[in-house]
Amino acid sequence: MSYSKFDLTFKIGQYLDRHLVFPLLEFLAAKETYDQSELLQAKLEILSKTNMIDYVIDIRKMLYLDEDTPEDIKSRRGIVLSQLQELQDAVEPVLRLMQRDDVMKTVETMRDPKTLINHLTTNKEFEFKVEMIDSMYRLAKYRYECGNYVESASYLYFCQLVMSPTDKNYLPVLWGKLASEILVQNWDGALEDLTKLREFIDNGGAGATASNMQALQQRTWLVHWSLFVFFNHVKGRDLIIEMFLYKPLYLNAIQTMCPHILRYLATAVIINRSRRNALKDLVKVIQQEAYTYRDPITEFIEHLYVNFDFEAARRKLNQCQAVLLTDFFLIACLEEFVENARLMIFETFCRIHQVISIGMLAENLNMQPDEAECWIVNLIRNARLDAKIDSKLGHVVMGAQPLSPYQQLVERIDSLAVRSEALTSLVERKQKTRNQDIRWGTQEF
Amino acid sequence: MSRFFATGTDSESESSSEDEPVVRAPAPVYTFSDDEEETKRVVRSMKEKRYEELEGIIHYLRNHRKIKDFSSALASFEELQKAYTRAAPVVAKEENGVAPRFFVRALVELEDWVSSAWADRDSRKTLSKGSSKALTSLRQKLRKYTKDFEAEVAKFREDPDLPDDDEEHKDSSSSDESDDEEKVKEKPRARRSPEPPRRPPPQDDESSDSMDWGSSSSDSSESSDDETRGATTIRERFLKRNTEREDDEEKDRRKTKIRRDRTVKVSKKDQADDGGEWETVKGGKGAAISDKPKMFAKDSDIDAALVVKKLGEISAARGRKRTDRRAQLELLHELRTVAAQHNLGDALQLKLRAATVAALFDYNPKVSDAMKPEYWSRLVENVDQMVTLLLGHEDMVLSENFTEEQEQLVTPPFQVRGCLLTALERLDDEFTKLLKECDPHSNEYVERLKDEVRVSALIDRVCQVVERDGTPQEICRAYLRKIDHLYYKFDPRAVRKDLPPGEETTIKKMERFCKYIYAHDETDRLRTRAILSHIYHHALHDNWFQARDLLLMSHLQETVQHSDPSTQILYNRTMANLGLCAFRRGNVKEAHGCLAELMMTGKPKELLAQGLLPQRQHERSKEQEKIEKQRQMPFHMHINLELLECVYLVSAMLIEIPYMAAHEFDARRRMISKTFYQNLRASERQALVGPPESMREHAVAAARAMRRGDWRACLNFIVNEKMNAKVWDLMVGADNVRAMLGRLIREESLRTYLFTYAHVYASLSLRSLADMFEMPRQRVHSLVSKMIINEELLASLDDPSECAILHRSEPTRMQALALQLADKVGNLVDSNERIFEKQGSFFQRGGQQRGEGRQRERPREGWNRRTRNRRRDDERGDD
Repeated sequence: MSYSKFDLTFKIGQYLDRHLVFPLLEFLAAKETYDQSELLQAKLEILSKTNMIDYVIDIRKMLYLDEDTPEDIKSRRGIVLSQLQELQDAVEPVLRLMQRDDVMKTVETMRDPKTLINHLTTNKEFEFKVEMIDSMYRLAKYRYECGNYVESASYLYFCQLVMSPTDKNYLPVLWGKLASEILVQNWDGALEDLTKLREFIDNGGAGATASNMQALQQRTWLVHWSLFVFFNHVKGRDLIIEMFLYKPLYLNAIQTMCPHILRYLATAVIINRSRRNALKDLVKVIQQEAYTYRDPITEFIEHLYVNFDFEAARRKLNQCQAVLLTDFFLIACLEEFVENARLMIFETFCRIHQVISIGMLAENLNMQPDEAECWIVNLIRNARLDAKIDSKLGHVVMGAQPLSPYQQLVERIDSLAVRSEALTSLVERKQKTRNQDIRWGTQEF
Repeated sequence: MSRFFATGTDSESESSSEDEPVVRAPAPVYTFSDDEEETKRVVRSMKEKRYEELEGIIHYLRNHRKIKDFSSALASFEELQKAYTRAAPVVAKEENGVAPRFFVRALVELEDWVSSAWADRDSRKTLSKGSSKALTSLRQKLRKYTKDFEAEVAKFREDPDLPDDDEEHKDSSSSDESDDEEKVKEKPRARRSPEPPRRPPPQDDESSDSMDWGSSSSDSSESSDDETRGATTIRERFLKRNTEREDDEEKDRRKTKIRRDRTVKVSKKDQADDGGEWETVKGGKGAAISDKPKMFAKDSDIDAALVVKKLGEISAARGRKRTDRRAQLELLHELRTVAAQHNLGDALQLKLRAATVAALFDYNPKVSDAMKPEYWSRLVENVDQMVTLLLGHEDMVLSENFTEEQEQLVTPPFQVRGCLLTALERLDDEFTKLLKECDPHSNEYVERLKDEVRVSALIDRVCQVVERDGTPQEICRAYLRKIDHLYYKFDPRAVRKDLPPGEETTIKKMERFCKYIYAHDETDRLRTRAILSHIYHHALHDNWFQARDLLLMSHLQETVQHSDPSTQILYNRTMANLGLCAFRRGNVKEAHGCLAELMMTGKPKELLAQGLLPQRQHERSKEQEKIEKQRQMPFHMHINLELLECVYLVSAMLIEIPYMAAHEFDARRRMISKTFYQNLRASERQALVGPPESMREHAVAAARAMRRGDWRACLNFIVNEKMNAKVWDLMVGADNVRAMLGRLIREESLRTYLFTYAHVYASLSLRSLADMFEMPRQRVHSLVSKMIINEELLASLDDPSECAILHRSEPTRMQALALQLADKVGNLVDSNERIFEKQGSFFQRGGQQRGEGRQRERPREGWNRRTRNRRRDDERGDD
């Protein structure tokens, strides 16, 4: 397919964990954009470094239909299982502890890791030792590699509670937790972890920001991982704009490391009707980075808001749909995107034009004339548009008339008197208080 | 010599005379010295007579002093005064008017004696009336008289311990009386007599003795004398601290001298007189190389240690005032030949080469002047040889970290003390100086410039060496030199699409070097320079985005004013080039932003270090001028100023004219570009405007045409044959630039037209607009739409008829003024509120405001300081 050149899977894949790439590959497999066996091969490649042996065997079967599973893989399975058992034994008490709801409740109420550890170690009943934290972390990692994300997430949760932020494993724990939450699709938890991780990185937590370079890398990773969360969580659409566009550090990271993220940012801005004011900033960023990255979505915005070339914008909108269809993150918001993009075109149109012919409008919006008329009528009815339809000529006539200079003047000076008055009263009040305290008053001036 | 430079600049002026003997030395030397001898003898008798007289009186005076005979002392003193007055002409002639030392000593002693006698009140009281009277008057007279010799006395008092020369003097005079001395023996004495006054003030004697020095330097026995004197000057410098050691050294040296002298005699037996010696001088360059062949005793075993010792001897003389630098060079050369003859190894060769390089650098006594081209090319040769040696031996390391003791010259791994990089850097600097010295429009300059290839090649090779065994910091330094020779050159291969594989363009090279420096540099300076050069290079090849991003990421525009002048110059050059690049790419606004700062001041020439402008207010001091001259760029690196100005004016026009049209009634209109504005105003004031001649006039004429909305005239003024020849053809991709100009001028003219004439239209057909400005309809539509969206044009489009319907809401003059007033009042209220809010910290207001201004600015937008300033002005305007 021709749109595979806009496929970002490989670019994004570089910044993701192995396990996180799976959903993307699954998606691609479902879309059938690429050769199936190639994809399977890729999957196998990824799995080779994990411990998901069963999965490997399955894929091998699909890939090499008639071949038997090699012995070494089978034996590895055994090793993996025994290792897992070993690790599990090491932290047996903790696992038991985690089974008990009452204990977990008290654990959760304690915010400070030190007191928590104190509580756990002093209480003989728990058989808890400090060394177990590390073992716990290792177990969680192992579990994660085996694909048991749910367990991994819960273990890591415990680790998080017990570890102090200065621990060398704290950062990996945060990352692991985020990955696990994403993979079990627990978006609330994932969002929480995401915020935690971001704060940790931004505040220069141990290991995260040893150098600017590392911090930049961490941020780039975070930007990519957060895509999973933002496009699945309800609040994600506001948050993505907030984080990518209005946090200079992350905007810088995007601009220097991964301008392709602009696609997601642009989409987020387009589908977020309440954040129209972000458009201006977005346009600036897109223009600035136009030489390193462009795809139909950024070009759509450029055409619409920089060149006011509606014809080109329309063409791009067509392309956008195709691109969105092949994008793992964006496919869910295709409908919304198209609707909002149309609205954007139309709004811009209305601001510029006095009279628009419905035919032309329909053409620009990729709609049938009847459909377009219906759409406009709906807009007018919802009081979102001050316009009338001249059905005889097939025109939409805008209602808004510009302000006369007189009105402008009145508007401008309207508030002046009130404001000045408020100010004088404030000054007077202040004067009074100052007079009460003469000592200060004389000193100040 | 170098020690000398460090101490002060006055040495520079005097050292100029030191060149002279070199030029003058060869043939006439001997006749000269003969003459001199004769005159000397005549003078001496005259002088001796006077001095004798003085001395006799001083002797009496001393006797009187011993018996405390004040009245006789007074008489003697008066006599002494008279005698000295008589001797004055001799003194003036012989000693440059500086009183002889024995005389000064007498004065000082007398003074001491008198003052001690005066201070001793008890004994003074016991004196007879006549004696005390004599003492008083003696004291007063003495005081008056010594005033004339204040300098000498002070000098004397500084180190009274020096061997008093009157003994010597007497000695010589007595020998004079005996009158039977042979020539050889007499000469040093005769020379010695003028010596004492030479010691005290080092400036005066310089010119006179450098002359007779050069003439007699061939005499080998003389040179021992020379060294004692060198020693005494050093002693003067260090006072009494290391006199003993000095003396030892002196002795040693004398011994070697004597030995050498002996060898002279042995080897030169057949050559009876001095003239014979001359014939042996190969190359016949210096007068002082007469002892060249007697480097070693004939039968001595020459090995590395001996050569090193010899080298130590030679270089010990380095930096002395009296050292003949040319002779040193010759000696080193000879030593090298000897070492080569005896196969003493490459490490030794390397060491000798390094010493030669150092001596070559010493050769030029003035830091500010360039060295002579032939010496410079010898320098290149030597450094090149060093590199060849180093590259030829894997196990040979040249580093300044080795001490003399650690050197390994005989057995591998060889370790040699020295610094290739420093030599290279100075060599490069000298090259630049050489270029600056000659007239850039002459053939000579071209000839010199051909050497640039040599320098570049040499730098390449040095880079190889440094890469092999240098520290990262050294590699950075070497790379920076490389970059310095690379960044301003346009590589035509870089813009070609079909680059043969495997070929590395300069862009790639720059990238490689710069990245290394970014990663490994520890001093900020190298990195800054590397970044600037990198930006420059990108800009030169039209890589606008890369250049821009690099600049923005480096945040240099905020810190550059704290860096050293040469870095600032580089920054200015980079900005100029970035501006040109932006312009070529059609980013007019950015071009203007880059160039505004340079052009605002009206002296881009100075900012780019491409020439000194005469200053009106205050004259530059000599020093200042010298320093500024040193900073100048060599001609081949210059940026065309006319091109720069033209680009600036055209971009200013493209921005300013529509802006002016849009804000005709706006009270808060500000000038975007002051320089351009002034030019325009000046032209408008003229009663009669002739056809444009210069580039500037063309730009102004074009601007005026654009104000009328006459794009065709505007374009014709900007792009015509004259301007092509003057400006546009100088650009890479001139045709693209012209096409871009045509497009931009049309667009901006259209905007100006709309701003200016909108009020006379009720509706405007986009079609006819497109025809009028010969633009595609789509483009007109987009431009008009943009103006409508930005509320610059109060209109809306009528889609079916493709017309822009203008709303009759252009305010009348009265209304516009009313709106202005309302605006101003509004601002007043705003600022009132602001003041009120800040009342608590009223006095910090200014600071806060500035801080605000900076905050509001996002770093990626922050183009340069100029915009920031403007913004600040704005805020002030608001208040």
